[in-house]
Amino acid sequence: MTSLRTRLLVWLLGGVVLLGAAGAWIVYRNALAEADAFFDYHLRETALLLRDQPVQYMLGPAIPPGDADYDFVVQVWSLDGILVYLSRPHAVLPAITTLGFSTASTSEGRWRVYGVQAVTRVIQVAQPMRVRERQAADLALRTLVPFALLMPLLAILIWFAVGHALRPLQRLTQLVKTRKETALDPLPDARLPTEVQPLVSALNDLLQRLGAVLERERGFMADAAHELRTPLTALHLQMSTLARAGTEAERADAMARLSAGVQRAIRLVEQLLALAQQEPRVGSERAKLRLDELARDVVAEMVPVADARHIDLGICASEPATVLGDAQALRTLIRNLVDNAVRYTPEGGTVDVSAMASAPSQPIHAPGGVGQAGSLLRVVDSGPGIAEQERSRVFDRFYRQPGTSPPGSGLGLAIVKSIADAHGASVALNSGLAGRGLAVTVSFPPG
Amino acid sequence: MRLLLVEDDSMIGEAIRTGLRRDGFTVDWVHDGDAAEEVLRTQPFDLLLLDLGLPRKGGLQVLQRLRARHETLPVLIITARDAVSDRVQGLDAGADDYLVKPFDLDELAARIRALLRRKSGRTAPQVEHLGVMLDPATHRVTREGRDIALSPREFALLQLLLERPGNILSRAQIEERLYGWGEEVESNAVEVHIHALRRKLGADFIVTVRGVGYRVRPAA
Repeated sequence: MTSLRTRLLVWLLGGVVLLGAAGAWIVYRNALAEADAFFDYHLRETALLLRDQPVQYMLGPAIPPGDADYDFVVQVWSLDGILVYLSRPHAVLPAITTLGFSTASTSEGRWRVYGVQAVTRVIQVAQPMRVRERQAADLALRTLVPFALLMPLLAILIWFAVGHALRPLQRLTQLVKTRKETALDPLPDARLPTEVQPLVSALNDLLQRLGAVLERERGFMADAAHELRTPLTALHLQMSTLARAGTEAERADAMARLSAGVQRAIRLVEQLLALAQQEPRVGSERAKLRLDELARDVVAEMVPVADARHIDLGICASEPATVLGDAQALRTLIRNLVDNAVRYTPEGGTVDVSAMASAPSQPIHAPGGVGQAGSLLRVVDSGPGIAEQERSRVFDRFYRQPGTSPPGSGLGLAIVKSIADAHGASVALNSGLAGRGLAVTVSFPPG
Repeated sequence: MRLLLVEDDSMIGEAIRTGLRRDGFTVDWVHDGDAAEEVLRTQPFDLLLLDLGLPRKGGLQVLQRLRARHETLPVLIITARDAVSDRVQGLDAGADDYLVKPFDLDELAARIRALLRRKSGRTAPQVEHLGVMLDPATHRVTREGRDIALSPREFALLQLLLERPGNILSRAQIEERLYGWGEEVESNAVEVHIHALRRKLGADFIVTVRGVGYRVRPAA
């Protein structure tokens, strides 16, 4: 039952029926109480009246045969217990009576009995209770019937009232339904019921955030397309020079350049992919991870690349440090940092990677290093470093330092920043080994 | 023909330089706007190939400064910025042509030839003088309809001399426009090339003006 209209109808009608039934019950109870008082009075009056009459009178036919509605039964006994009078033969009344009011159960139902003693006899007037019950039920029914008759009318009224009340919602539905998927302007929230208002403003809020994300994506797409042009231009030109190469030496040279160009295009696409994958991952798949182990994995993986460039790559300090994060993303972060360092450090240089628990002033030497402290990852190289005034810009997508060789994708540090942000970590750039080179420090919050 | 290439991407720059050199151009290459300004101020070039997105000083700024000095040097912009507004801006700033990346090396060379042709006031792509016909696009030289085989350097020298027939070029001027930076110039290189040309085109085709330089024999 998902229709609001049906639900409201059922609830309201059900409520009305229930209330009607309760009302009828109360009316019935009240009517019964009133009937009790009324008939008790009559029972007593009749008995007292008979007490004051001579017996002869009673034996005569003068006694009113009794209103069928009242259904009174009168019995008179002499003092010695002989039944001297019975107004109507009635099946199973108690043969003896208590004086005053009493209620007797018989096989014909319950009877109300009033007994009184005269000088020479005992008089008992009795009436079946069902007379009273019937009367009370009649009254209750009379109250309930109009109610019942009005029920369908009420149902129709509710149906239309609810429909009318829901019309703004239908308008809104229509509005959202016919909306173009590119239209992200807020929904109009004027003339909306107060109950729907929060939903619309929440939707508008979502639309706005969606718009911001889309805008960013669009900007990223434009940037990416633009950036792809550079390596593709290079490839195109390198192809031409290869085609024009006359001598074998020229051919070999052109082939080597073309191959480098292809490598660069591949790298750019990979980096773009890494960044694109990073964006929607924010906050997903968090687990407690050992930063030092991740760093060790990445360093092991990068050693061949470093060896090829005669760069001394290694872990210089490592202690158990935990972070809460996404293993794949963190590996990408570390790989980008190490890759950058290895790439831009001149041959024969050094790249040191360290992972440790931060805030060494705190006593955090608990087993496993799981304390309230965060973790630090540091990659230090002996390369050319990044000038102070460039440091704030190198995190921008596609920003490359002037004169950087080999030309990078301009995305490495942007990826690092994006992953760090998603983990609530900060990235700091400082001077590296012996005042030269670059030191990148990523500080993770306590995990 | 000596060209200055201003391009910050090392791969693109390398490929353009290699390709254009094969086409017989002398190509010098700088990587940023500041360096471009510096060499433009001090050295002669026949054409400027200018990227717009340059570090340190943007290509447009380099171009505006160049035009502010009333330099008539032909400028061909090569850039990834392809919006109409970018092209308009580039051409209005004083560029003679605009080529959007990625472009074809052949097209680049053709546009360079067209600009050089316009600069020398000619409309026909081929240069003809006293029965010698030079085609810059195909690098063919004919004399009275017969093909003459020239080395790239000889071709460049002949082209230079035919640019303004009758105009005298000093040895220093020829060296400057024939050799890029870092190219070893033998002290008698120009004489060697002149000698070769005379051998192939006729001894009187190139005239020595003693103490001044060389020129092609003017049409009678």
